[in-house]
Amino acid sequence: MLIIDNLVAGYGKVKVLHGISIMVPEGKVVALIGSNGAGKTTTLRALSGMLKPESGSITLGGKDIAGLTSHEITRMGLAHSPEGRRVFSTLPVMDNLLLGAFPRLTGSRHKGDVDGDINRMFELFPRLKERRTQLAGTLSGGEQQMLAMARALMLNPEVLLLDEPSMGLSPRLVEEIFVIIERLKKANMTMLLVEQFAAAALEVSDFGYVMENGHIRTSGEARALKNDPAVQAAYLGGH
Amino acid sequence: MQILMQLIVSGISVGMIYGVIAFGYQLTFSTSKTLNFGQGEALMLGALVGLTTINFLIGQQIGTFWAYVIMLPVVLAFGALQGSVVEWLGVRPAMRAKSEAGWIMATIALGIIFKNLAENIWGRDALKFPSPLPEASLSFGGIRIQPMEIVVVVGAIALMLGVEFFNRRSIYGKAVVATSNDRDAAGLMGINTNRIITFSYALSSMSAAFAGVLVAPVTLTGATMGAVLGLKAFAVAIIGGLSSGMGVVIGGLILGITETLTGYYISTGYKDVPGLVLLLIVLSLKPSGLFGKAAIKKV
Ligand SMILES: Nc1ncnc2c1ncn2[C@@H]1O[C@H](COP(=O)(O)OP(=O)(O)O)[C@@H](O)[C@H]1O
Ligand SMILES: [Mg+2]
Repeated sequence: MLIIDNLVAGYGKVKVLHGISIMVPEGKVVALIGSNGAGKTTTLRALSGMLKPESGSITLGGKDIAGLTSHEITRMGLAHSPEGRRVFSTLPVMDNLLLGAFPRLTGSRHKGDVDGDINRMFELFPRLKERRTQLAGTLSGGEQQMLAMARALMLNPEVLLLDEPSMGLSPRLVEEIFVIIERLKKANMTMLLVEQFAAAALEVSDFGYVMENGHIRTSGEARALKNDPAVQAAYLGGH
Repeated sequence: MQILMQLIVSGISVGMIYGVIAFGYQLTFSTSKTLNFGQGEALMLGALVGLTTINFLIGQQIGTFWAYVIMLPVVLAFGALQGSVVEWLGVRPAMRAKSEAGWIMATIALGIIFKNLAENIWGRDALKFPSPLPEASLSFGGIRIQPMEIVVVVGAIALMLGVEFFNRRSIYGKAVVATSNDRDAAGLMGINTNRIITFSYALSSMSAAFAGVLVAPVTLTGATMGAVLGLKAFAVAIIGGLSSGMGVVIGGLILGITETLTGYYISTGYKDVPGLVLLLIVLSLKPSGLFGKAAIKKV
């Protein structure tokens, strides 16, 4: 469970988030939608410690993580698949996955069955299995996205943040990605999903938040938001 | 032809030393986009600490060869510690302040301090470093090679292969490579990238200290031995590329061989010139933009 309360953050003097509050309950999927530049990526960056919040609290599993560094937050179980994939391009697919499990392999997080989890990732993303020895930089965009997601999952996270997993992918691949998100949801993964495909995102989510200029405009059950005329007009292309 | 071969062979061991120092520049540049301009002083300190250690051991009735072997881990540990200090005092504050040039001034300043310190402890004169192997040359088809020159080449290659092996095989090595690839993303893996950067400085100075005790028995040791070596290796690192391990070895060999050729065919008085001319050429072809672009941190 992840609770964000009155979070303020920005870049230097430029404030981007003006006090936002979001709740991601255990085992639920929450969609964060909004137009380009609304502050969705900034929100995720503040959550995972890539960006230091100015004020507000972020509670993960009962502990306040606001202001901790990203490696500390990751070790506490928050995985972030960042915008633009950011795979380790000079390393093979296999090493990228192992690095996702870095805290488990180095004793700062319960180890569990790392090899078994790698096999489960190969089951979830069969293309990665074929390309396990290939350098991540030589993968296609869709494959890199799958690798970024699998790498984040290798943490065995309490909460998974996904930043536009469908960005730049062909419609067929977008569909594939959403099928995988659906499967993760069925496996009870707690997720905060940032998406440009608002309709598809709300479809797989339990709750949704609509962001505008660094504020939360509306929020509610995903189904209700999907049927909200104002949301439809602004984000769902009017249907 | 015989003479030419002889010069090339002699150039190889010098070149490998440049290669190892340049390799040290790469280690820190890849993780932090900064480097230690006191790398030559790290080499010098390693050699002098090695000298004191080996003399102490010889004083304990240990043979020179074994004294040299026992001295190695002491020098490597010292180098690692010295590199961590440089990172902590000189580089981390500059990176925290997002200063683009602060680390340059700081590492140069620390280098000067280390040199002064060495002059006060070991004096200003060049000192003889006991050679662990016979100094008489071996002859291969008329080409003479000192046993220590072979040790230099083998030691340099072993060090670089060791680091490469660590990077490829261990999860900590992979964490170093990940940090070089994308520091923010590495942080998201739970990797403490500050610690990785300290580690890369430790490894870098350790390489320099190792180069110091490799080269010391074939040259002389002293507080001033590092400056020129550090500068020339910098030229090698820029030419060879700040990211390619193979590049610095080749760059080092080219420079080492050019120098012995210059020393023979022109004058030993000019043997430092090719390296420094190379440095000038490099700096004029790739002026301040050298670090400029890489050092601008993406927020
Ligand atoms: N590195 C940065 N430095 C300064 N401003 C930034 C930076 N990244 C994003 N911004 C600004 O923050 C705002 C929100 O951006 P972002 O969080 O990326 O939006 P979204 O992900 O919703 O498209 C934008 O106005 C953008 O220009
Ligand atoms: Mg974004």
